[in-house]
Amino acid sequence: MEIFITGYGLISSIGIGADETILSLRNEKSGITKGSNDFSSKYLVGEIKFSDNELKERFGIMQNCSRTALLGMIAAKQAFEGHSISEEIKTGLISSTSVGGMDVSEKEFRKYLQDGKQDLSQYKHHSSGVSSEQIAKELGIKGFVNTISTACSSAANALMMGARMIQSGMLDRVVVGGTDALTSFTINGFKSLMIFDEDWCKPFDNSRKGLNLGEGAGFVVLESEKSMQLSKQKAVANLSGWSNASDAFHQTASSPDGQGAQLSMTEALKVAGLTPDDIDYINAHGTATPNNDLSESQAIKSIFKENIPPFSSTKALQVILWLHRVELKLFFRFLQLTMDICIRI
Amino acid sequence: MYYIHTISSISNQDSFRNNDVYSSLRKFDAENDVVAPDYKEFIPRNALRRLSPILRMGLTCAMECQKNTNAEFDSIVVGTALGCLKDTEKFLTNFITSTSDFLSPTAFIQSTHNTIGGQISLGLSNHSYNMTHTQNNLSFEVSLIDAMLCINDGKKNVLVGAAEEKIPFLENLQPNIVADTHPLASGASFFVLTDEKKSIGIKKVDALFNIQSVENEIKRFLATENLTVNDIDLVLTSNNIELSFEKTIHYLQHTGLHYSASAFATHVGHDFLKSNPANNVLVVNHLCNDKLGLILLQKG
Repeated sequence: MEIFITGYGLISSIGIGADETILSLRNEKSGITKGSNDFSSKYLVGEIKFSDNELKERFGIMQNCSRTALLGMIAAKQAFEGHSISEEIKTGLISSTSVGGMDVSEKEFRKYLQDGKQDLSQYKHHSSGVSSEQIAKELGIKGFVNTISTACSSAANALMMGARMIQSGMLDRVVVGGTDALTSFTINGFKSLMIFDEDWCKPFDNSRKGLNLGEGAGFVVLESEKSMQLSKQKAVANLSGWSNASDAFHQTASSPDGQGAQLSMTEALKVAGLTPDDIDYINAHGTATPNNDLSESQAIKSIFKENIPPFSSTKALQVILWLHRVELKLFFRFLQLTMDICIRI
Repeated sequence: MYYIHTISSISNQDSFRNNDVYSSLRKFDAENDVVAPDYKEFIPRNALRRLSPILRMGLTCAMECQKNTNAEFDSIVVGTALGCLKDTEKFLTNFITSTSDFLSPTAFIQSTHNTIGGQISLGLSNHSYNMTHTQNNLSFEVSLIDAMLCINDGKKNVLVGAAEEKIPFLENLQPNIVADTHPLASGASFFVLTDEKKSIGIKKVDALFNIQSVENEIKRFLATENLTVNDIDLVLTSNNIELSFEKTIHYLQHTGLHYSASAFATHVGHDFLKSNPANNVLVVNHLCNDKLGLILLQKG
């Protein structure tokens, strides 16, 4: 069964919406700057330069929510534009996040540790599932809601889960993607791993040293053919292949030969019924850590041999921590979309 | 039908390596969080030291399931509502109170939800599909849906389960944010679904949102399988339901409160079907307001 993509939306440090984002990429405008929060001011980060209140006002969002949920609502609303809720179309939402409402929890917990005072009601935002339920509410989706949390591969896994649910007939249409706000928790976490570049990150460059962190959200709408006839939306692309495999090498590092990435690319091509020669472009994870880029390069070489298509990582311009793939595919208008996922463990 | 090959649970009950969890059910024991097996049998001592309770439970149940399954799992699906709380709290405390520029990364690495699935794939050297779902009280149900899709996709031995760990901090959030007033608890239950015929299986799973009436949803759910309330031999439920069933177990009285307790209830339902002349068991999970999880177990 064919899976159609009939809407997309995104927000990141290089723009709100596809047009702004594409313009920034074309002009090689980077969104990575010195952070503006207390916790980010020492680092180069891909921050969205608007406060929660500014964003809520601009996009007419009334819900009391975490920044993670807010960014998700903005991107998902863009993606769902032109669509409407209908009894005849079984519609769901599958979001993904790594930090969930940590941006709220960490502020309260800091107050608690420092002055013993906290607003306990704020912890209602902590659970990742809550952010997805709020995004669904913002779109008026009352059906199936799910949240995936698999670090860097989260959003790609959400696309895959959505496509499989449509194929099984459980859903006709599903809004899928991911969202993560920049938090002190993640900055300190990656600092403890010592894989930050104090300068701009340099994916696939000989002098690469590490990553920059960022925030953002990206969503697409997946539909079956039947759903598309009812929603009257136009397909911008198909989602034709996907796979998820585990590297099972190390909790935070990739294997030197990129076994997980090899397995998932091979299977994704199989699901799509394509060969490596059919692929015109690869958008890589390209975190700019020496370990990732080596592993990924080896995996690409082993699949594509002598005929490696152009590949790149846009991390140098726009950093979206942990779930960047959805947005990237949009920039290329899904000319040929083959999802590949390697869960980095 | 999605057949169940084997199950492993660690809970407040004496459930680990117990062939009939249903018959040995007792009231919740507030003195102990879980009846833990000797983890050293499963996890090397130096690794064990670093693993939080949720990781110990998840990994041990998964390894026990693998031991009882001839082939390697070709999918691993994990559900958790709140994930690795102990390491999350630890890392928060570390970086907020630390005056040093150097932090140990262990708690951070082990704080993400997918650490459970990651540890399982590492522990079993398993390269297959690996997924983590987190949807509040319906985390186990959405994981089951994924596992069933895996079987539809042609997978043959799918590991699916859910795990939660309690931390004292959660008591602050009862009953407003963490629903319900049962004593908090931890637990993990893992199942192997297979395409091969077995005596008991999962017939249907639903994860429902924005529901109006639990009773109507249950009737509608059963009707899709041509069943009525009278056909259900045992219902395992998180809350009171205004329907009269033949036999009812309020499972939170046995598990204590955690968001994936319906996974343990499914284990109990399986063992009930195994040892009784009965055909249908329904697990009703209505822990959170307008959300409802329904799992129908049947004899094969």
